[in-house]
Amino acid sequence: MKILVVDDFSTMRRIVRNLLVELGFSGPLIQEADDGDNALTMLRSTPFDLVITDWNMPNMSGIDLLRAIRAEPSIKALPVLMVTAENNRDQIIAAAQAGVNGYVVKPFSAATLEEKLARIFERLAASGAKA
Amino acid sequence: MNAEFPLAIDEDLPPQLRDLLNSADGPAFEQALDVIVRQREQHLFRALGQLARDLHDAVRRLGGELAHDGVTASVADARQHLQDVLEMSAQAANRSLDFAERMRPQADALAQNAGEVLAWASGNDAAAVLARQALEFADVSRAGLADMVLAQSWQDLTGQRIKRVAAFIGSVESSLLELVRLTGALAGSEVPARTTQVSSQEDADRLLSEFGF
Repeated sequence: MKILVVDDFSTMRRIVRNLLVELGFSGPLIQEADDGDNALTMLRSTPFDLVITDWNMPNMSGIDLLRAIRAEPSIKALPVLMVTAENNRDQIIAAAQAGVNGYVVKPFSAATLEEKLARIFERLAASGAKA
Repeated sequence: MNAEFPLAIDEDLPPQLRDLLNSADGPAFEQALDVIVRQREQHLFRALGQLARDLHDAVRRLGGELAHDGVTASVADARQHLQDVLEMSAQAANRSLDFAERMRPQADALAQNAGEVLAWASGNDAAAVLARQALEFADVSRAGLADMVLAQSWQDLTGQRIKRVAAFIGSVESSLLELVRLTGALAGSEVPARTTQVSSQEDADRLLSEFGF
Protein backbone atom coordinates (compact mmCIF):
# COMPACT_ATOMS: atom_id res chain seq x y z
CA MET A 1 0.00 0.00 0.00
CA LYS A 2 1.42 3.34 -1.10
CA ILE A 3 1.02 6.00 1.59
CA LEU A 4 1.81 9.73 1.51
CA VAL A 5 2.55 11.32 4.90
CA VAL A 6 2.15 15.13 4.87
CA ASP A 7 3.45 17.26 7.76
CA ASP A 8 5.69 20.33 7.98
CA PHE A 9 7.55 18.82 10.97
CA SER A 10 10.02 16.16 9.85
CA THR A 11 9.95 14.52 13.29
CA MET A 12 6.18 14.04 13.02
CA ARG A 13 6.53 12.52 9.54
CA ARG A 14 9.12 10.17 10.94
CA ILE A 15 6.90 9.24 13.89
CA VAL A 16 3.93 8.46 11.64
CA ARG A 17 6.21 6.48 9.31
CA ASN A 18 7.54 4.50 12.31
CA LEU A 19 4.05 3.74 13.53
CA LEU A 20 2.93 2.62 10.08
CA VAL A 21 5.91 0.26 9.81
CA GLU A 22 5.12 -0.98 13.33
CA LEU A 23 1.57 -1.67 12.13
CA GLY A 24 2.94 -3.78 9.28
CA PHE A 25 2.92 -1.33 6.35
CA SER A 26 5.88 -1.41 3.99
CA GLY A 27 8.46 1.28 4.83
CA PRO A 28 9.77 1.82 1.29
CA LEU A 29 6.22 2.47 0.03
CA ILE A 30 5.73 5.35 2.48
CA GLN A 31 6.56 8.76 1.02
CA GLU A 32 6.63 12.19 2.65
CA ALA A 33 5.70 15.78 1.76
CA ASP A 34 6.23 18.88 3.93
CA ASP A 35 3.13 20.82 2.87
CA GLY A 36 -0.09 20.55 0.89
CA ASP A 37 1.38 22.07 -2.27
CA ASN A 38 4.15 19.50 -2.52
CA ALA A 39 1.76 16.72 -1.57
CA LEU A 40 -0.60 17.68 -4.40
CA THR A 41 2.26 17.67 -6.91
CA MET A 42 3.26 14.17 -5.78
CA LEU A 43 -0.33 12.90 -5.82
CA ARG A 44 -0.79 14.13 -9.39
CA SER A 45 2.31 12.36 -10.67
CA THR A 46 2.22 9.08 -8.71
CA PRO A 47 -0.71 6.91 -7.68
CA PHE A 48 -1.15 6.61 -3.88
CA ASP A 49 -3.57 4.50 -1.84
CA LEU A 50 -3.79 6.70 1.25
CA VAL A 51 -2.92 10.22 2.43
CA ILE A 52 -2.19 10.96 6.09
CA THR A 53 -2.00 14.72 6.55
CA ASP A 54 -1.45 17.29 9.27
CA TRP A 55 -3.83 20.29 9.42
CA ASN A 56 -1.51 23.18 10.27
CA MET A 57 1.07 23.67 7.52
CA PRO A 58 2.57 26.64 5.64
CA ASN A 59 1.61 27.31 2.00
CA MET A 60 -1.23 24.81 1.76
CA SER A 61 -2.91 23.53 4.93
CA GLY A 62 -4.31 20.04 5.40
CA ILE A 63 -7.92 21.13 4.93
CA ASP A 64 -7.04 22.92 1.67
CA LEU A 65 -5.16 19.83 0.50
CA LEU A 66 -8.23 17.72 1.30
CA ARG A 67 -10.48 20.10 -0.68
CA ALA A 68 -8.02 20.15 -3.59
CA ILE A 69 -7.96 16.34 -3.65
CA ARG A 70 -11.77 16.12 -3.63
CA ALA A 71 -11.95 18.71 -6.43
CA GLU A 72 -9.61 16.82 -8.75
CA PRO A 73 -11.32 13.99 -10.68
CA SER A 74 -8.25 11.74 -10.98
CA ILE A 75 -7.56 11.64 -7.23
CA LYS A 76 -10.88 12.62 -5.64
CA ALA A 77 -11.61 9.11 -4.30
CA LEU A 78 -8.31 8.94 -2.40
CA PRO A 79 -8.82 8.17 1.31
CA VAL A 80 -7.52 10.97 3.55
CA LEU A 81 -6.76 10.64 7.26
CA MET A 82 -6.35 13.96 9.09
CA VAL A 83 -3.81 13.86 11.95
CA THR A 84 -3.92 17.11 13.86
CA ALA A 85 -3.39 18.88 17.18
CA GLU A 86 -6.59 20.86 16.52
CA ASN A 87 -9.28 19.22 18.59
CA ASN A 88 -11.73 21.92 17.64
CA ARG A 89 -15.38 21.19 16.91
CA ASP A 90 -15.58 23.62 13.97
CA GLN A 91 -12.47 22.18 12.39
CA ILE A 92 -13.69 18.62 12.76
CA ILE A 93 -16.99 19.64 11.13
CA ALA A 94 -15.10 21.45 8.33
CA ALA A 95 -13.00 18.34 7.72
CA ALA A 96 -16.09 16.11 7.69
CA GLN A 97 -17.86 18.44 5.26
CA ALA A 98 -14.80 18.48 3.00
CA GLY A 99 -14.99 14.68 2.85
CA VAL A 100 -12.31 13.49 5.26
CA ASN A 101 -12.18 9.71 5.83
CA GLY A 102 -10.78 9.80 9.36
CA TYR A 103 -9.64 12.30 12.01
CA VAL A 104 -6.98 11.59 14.64
CA VAL A 105 -6.10 14.08 17.38
CA LYS A 106 -2.43 14.40 18.38
CA PRO A 107 -0.92 13.02 20.49
CA PHE A 108 -2.37 9.63 19.63
CA SER A 109 -1.39 6.01 20.26
CA ALA A 110 -0.42 3.38 17.71
CA ALA A 111 -3.64 1.57 18.63
CA THR A 112 -5.72 4.69 17.79
CA LEU A 113 -3.98 5.06 14.44
CA GLU A 114 -4.54 1.36 13.71
CA GLU A 115 -8.21 1.60 14.65
CA LYS A 116 -8.83 4.69 12.44
CA LEU A 117 -7.02 3.09 9.50
CA ALA A 118 -8.97 -0.15 9.93
CA ARG A 119 -12.25 1.80 9.96
CA ILE A 120 -11.29 3.70 6.80
CA PHE A 121 -10.51 0.49 4.92
CA GLU A 122 -13.63 -1.26 6.25
CA ARG A 123 -15.82 1.57 4.95
CA LEU A 124 -14.02 1.64 1.63
CA ALA A 125 -14.47 -2.13 1.25
CA ALA A 126 -18.16 -1.81 2.13
CA SER A 127 -18.77 1.03 -0.35
CA GLY A 128 -16.70 -0.83 -2.96
CA ALA A 129 -18.84 -3.97 -2.46
CA LYS A 130 -22.02 -1.94 -2.86
CA ALA A 131 -20.82 -0.19 -6.01
CA MET B 1 -37.19 84.24 28.54
CA ASN B 2 -38.09 86.76 31.17
CA ALA B 3 -35.84 87.58 34.09
CA GLU B 4 -38.86 87.41 36.33
CA PHE B 5 -39.04 83.68 35.59
CA PRO B 6 -35.56 82.45 36.47
CA LEU B 7 -34.47 78.98 35.39
CA ALA B 8 -35.11 76.15 37.81
CA ILE B 9 -31.36 75.34 37.88
CA ASP B 10 -30.48 78.87 38.93
CA GLU B 11 -29.54 77.91 42.45
CA ASP B 12 -27.05 75.29 41.28
CA LEU B 13 -25.23 77.71 38.96
CA PRO B 14 -22.15 79.78 39.87
CA PRO B 15 -23.14 83.39 40.66
CA GLN B 16 -21.21 84.60 37.60
CA LEU B 17 -23.38 82.46 35.30
CA ARG B 18 -26.58 83.27 37.12
CA ASP B 19 -25.92 86.96 36.69
CA LEU B 20 -25.23 86.48 33.00
CA LEU B 21 -28.39 84.48 32.44
CA ASN B 22 -30.43 87.16 34.11
CA SER B 23 -28.64 89.98 32.29
CA ALA B 24 -30.39 91.84 29.48
CA ASP B 25 -27.08 92.76 27.79
CA GLY B 26 -26.83 90.30 24.84
CA PRO B 27 -23.27 91.09 23.59
CA ALA B 28 -21.91 91.04 27.17
CA PHE B 29 -23.56 87.65 27.68
CA GLU B 30 -21.96 86.26 24.48
CA GLN B 31 -18.56 87.63 25.41
CA ALA B 32 -18.65 86.25 28.92
CA LEU B 33 -19.76 82.89 27.63
CA ASP B 34 -16.86 82.89 25.13
CA VAL B 35 -14.42 83.52 27.97
CA ILE B 36 -15.77 80.61 29.95
CA VAL B 37 -15.72 78.27 26.95
CA ARG B 38 -12.18 79.35 26.02
CA GLN B 39 -11.00 78.71 29.59
CA ARG B 40 -12.39 75.22 29.32
CA GLU B 41 -10.82 74.69 25.91
CA GLN B 42 -7.44 75.89 27.14
CA HIS B 43 -7.61 73.39 29.95
CA LEU B 44 -8.50 70.59 27.53
CA PHE B 45 -5.77 71.63 25.07
CA ARG B 46 -3.19 71.76 27.84
CA ALA B 47 -4.16 68.27 28.94
CA LEU B 48 -4.07 67.02 25.34
CA GLY B 49 -0.77 68.73 24.72
CA GLN B 50 0.75 67.15 27.81
CA LEU B 51 -0.57 63.77 26.73
CA ALA B 52 0.84 64.19 23.22
CA ARG B 53 4.24 65.27 24.59
CA ASP B 54 4.33 62.34 27.04
CA LEU B 55 3.44 59.93 24.25
CA HIS B 56 6.06 61.40 22.02
CA ASP B 57 8.69 61.23 24.77
CA ALA B 58 7.87 57.62 25.55
CA VAL B 59 7.99 56.58 21.93
CA ARG B 60 11.15 58.61 21.31
CA ARG B 61 12.83 56.84 24.21
CA LEU B 62 11.64 53.54 22.82
CA GLY B 63 12.79 54.55 19.34
CA GLY B 64 16.16 55.61 20.74
CA GLU B 65 16.54 52.30 22.50
CA LEU B 66 15.46 50.47 19.37
CA ALA B 67 18.13 52.27 17.39
CA HIS B 68 20.82 52.41 20.07
CA ASP B 69 20.68 48.95 21.57
CA GLY B 70 19.59 47.42 18.31
CA VAL B 71 16.27 46.13 19.58
CA THR B 72 15.50 45.23 15.98
CA ALA B 73 18.56 43.05 16.25
CA SER B 74 17.31 41.76 19.61
CA VAL B 75 14.02 40.80 18.00
CA ALA B 76 15.97 38.98 15.32
CA ASP B 77 17.98 37.37 18.15
CA ALA B 78 14.80 36.31 19.94
CA ARG B 79 13.50 34.77 16.75
CA GLN B 80 16.83 33.03 16.24
CA HIS B 81 16.69 31.66 19.81
CA LEU B 82 13.27 30.20 19.10
CA GLN B 83 14.56 28.73 15.85
CA ASP B 84 17.47 27.22 17.82
CA VAL B 85 15.01 25.68 20.29
CA LEU B 86 13.07 24.20 17.38
CA GLU B 87 16.21 22.73 15.86
CA MET B 88 17.59 21.43 19.16
CA SER B 89 14.31 19.80 20.08
CA ALA B 90 14.06 18.27 16.59
CA GLN B 91 17.60 16.91 17.04
CA ALA B 92 16.71 15.44 20.42
CA ALA B 93 13.53 13.86 19.03
CA ASN B 94 15.48 12.48 16.07
CA ARG B 95 18.07 10.91 18.37
CA SER B 96 15.30 9.07 20.19
CA LEU B 97 13.80 8.00 16.86
CA ASP B 98 17.25 6.82 15.67
CA PHE B 99 17.54 4.78 18.83
CA ALA B 100 14.11 3.19 18.34
CA GLU B 101 14.84 2.39 14.71
CA ARG B 102 18.17 0.80 15.68
CA MET B 103 16.67 -1.29 18.49
CA ARG B 104 13.56 -2.52 16.71
CA PRO B 105 15.40 -4.92 14.29
CA GLN B 106 17.41 -6.21 17.28
CA ALA B 107 14.19 -6.96 19.16
CA ASP B 108 12.82 -8.64 16.02
CA ALA B 109 15.98 -10.75 15.66
CA LEU B 110 15.87 -11.74 19.34
CA ALA B 111 12.23 -12.80 18.98
CA GLN B 112 13.02 -14.85 15.88
CA ASN B 113 16.03 -16.56 17.47
CA ALA B 114 14.01 -17.36 20.57
CA GLY B 115 11.30 -18.84 18.34
CA GLU B 116 13.85 -21.07 16.67
CA VAL B 117 15.19 -22.28 20.02
CA LEU B 118 11.62 -23.03 21.16
CA ALA B 119 11.16 -25.16 18.05
CA TRP B 120 13.55 -27.79 19.47
CA ALA B 121 13.76 -26.99 23.18
CA SER B 122 10.69 -27.65 25.28
CA GLY B 123 9.27 -27.86 28.79
CA ASN B 124 11.54 -26.68 31.55
CA ASP B 125 14.77 -27.00 29.60
CA ALA B 126 17.06 -24.15 30.54
CA ALA B 127 17.18 -23.22 26.84
CA ALA B 128 13.36 -23.21 26.55
CA VAL B 129 12.93 -21.11 29.71
CA LEU B 130 15.52 -18.61 28.49
CA ALA B 131 14.00 -18.54 25.01
CA ARG B 132 10.54 -17.81 26.44
CA GLN B 133 11.99 -15.01 28.57
CA ALA B 134 13.79 -13.61 25.54
CA LEU B 135 10.59 -13.72 23.49
CA GLU B 136 8.70 -11.91 26.21
CA PHE B 137 11.46 -9.31 26.54
CA ALA B 138 11.48 -8.76 22.76
CA ASP B 139 7.71 -8.15 22.77
CA VAL B 140 7.86 -5.76 25.72
CA SER B 141 10.79 -3.93 24.10
CA ARG B 142 8.95 -3.51 20.81
CA ALA B 143 5.90 -2.09 22.57
CA GLY B 144 8.14 0.20 24.65
CA LEU B 145 9.96 1.42 21.54
CA ALA B 146 6.65 2.18 19.83
CA ASP B 147 5.56 4.20 22.88
CA MET B 148 8.87 6.03 22.89
CA VAL B 149 8.50 6.88 19.19
CA LEU B 150 5.04 8.23 19.83
CA ALA B 151 6.20 10.24 22.83
CA GLN B 152 8.46 12.23 20.49
CA SER B 153 5.39 14.00 19.12
CA TRP B 154 5.96 16.52 21.95
CA GLN B 155 8.46 18.09 19.55
CA ASP B 156 5.76 18.74 16.98
CA LEU B 157 3.25 19.98 19.56
CA THR B 158 5.69 22.35 21.29
CA GLY B 159 7.18 23.35 17.94
CA GLN B 160 3.84 24.55 16.64
CA ARG B 161 3.46 26.80 19.67
CA ILE B 162 7.00 28.12 19.27
CA LYS B 163 6.21 29.00 15.66
CA ARG B 164 3.13 30.92 16.81
CA VAL B 165 5.21 32.86 19.36
CA ALA B 166 7.77 33.67 16.64
CA ALA B 167 5.01 35.00 14.40
CA PHE B 168 3.65 37.07 17.32
CA ILE B 169 7.07 38.59 17.98
CA GLY B 170 7.22 39.53 14.31
CA SER B 171 3.90 41.35 14.48
CA VAL B 172 4.86 43.17 17.71
CA GLU B 173 8.09 44.25 16.05
CA SER B 174 6.36 45.71 13.00
CA SER B 175 3.73 47.46 15.15
CA LEU B 176 6.48 48.97 17.29
CA LEU B 177 8.43 50.22 14.31
CA GLU B 178 5.25 51.64 12.80
CA LEU B 179 4.48 53.48 16.07
CA VAL B 180 7.98 54.95 16.16
CA ARG B 181 7.67 56.00 12.52
CA LEU B 182 4.27 57.60 13.03
CA THR B 183 5.17 59.56 16.15
CA GLY B 184 8.50 60.50 14.59
CA ALA B 185 6.62 61.93 11.63
CA LEU B 186 4.20 63.73 13.98
CA ALA B 187 7.02 65.37 15.92
CA GLY B 188 9.10 65.96 12.81
CA SER B 189 12.11 65.06 14.93
CA GLU B 190 13.22 61.88 13.27
CA VAL B 191 13.92 63.56 9.94
CA PRO B 192 17.69 63.41 9.57
CA ALA B 193 17.82 66.03 6.76
CA ARG B 194 17.66 68.93 9.27
CA THR B 195 20.80 71.03 9.33
CA THR B 196 20.25 72.80 12.66
CA GLN B 197 20.37 70.47 15.58
CA VAL B 198 17.09 70.93 17.40
CA SER B 199 16.02 68.75 20.26
CA SER B 200 13.00 66.74 19.30
CA GLN B 201 11.18 68.07 22.36
CA GLU B 202 11.41 71.60 20.98
CA ASP B 203 10.39 70.34 17.58
CA ALA B 204 7.47 68.57 19.10
CA ASP B 205 6.48 71.61 21.14
CA ARG B 206 6.62 73.83 18.08
CA LEU B 207 4.58 71.46 16.00
CA LEU B 208 2.08 71.03 18.79
CA SER B 209 1.83 74.77 19.28
CA GLU B 210 0.87 75.07 15.61
CA PHE B 211 -2.10 72.93 16.44
CA GLY B 212 -2.94 75.18 19.35
CA PHE B 213 -1.57 72.92 22.10
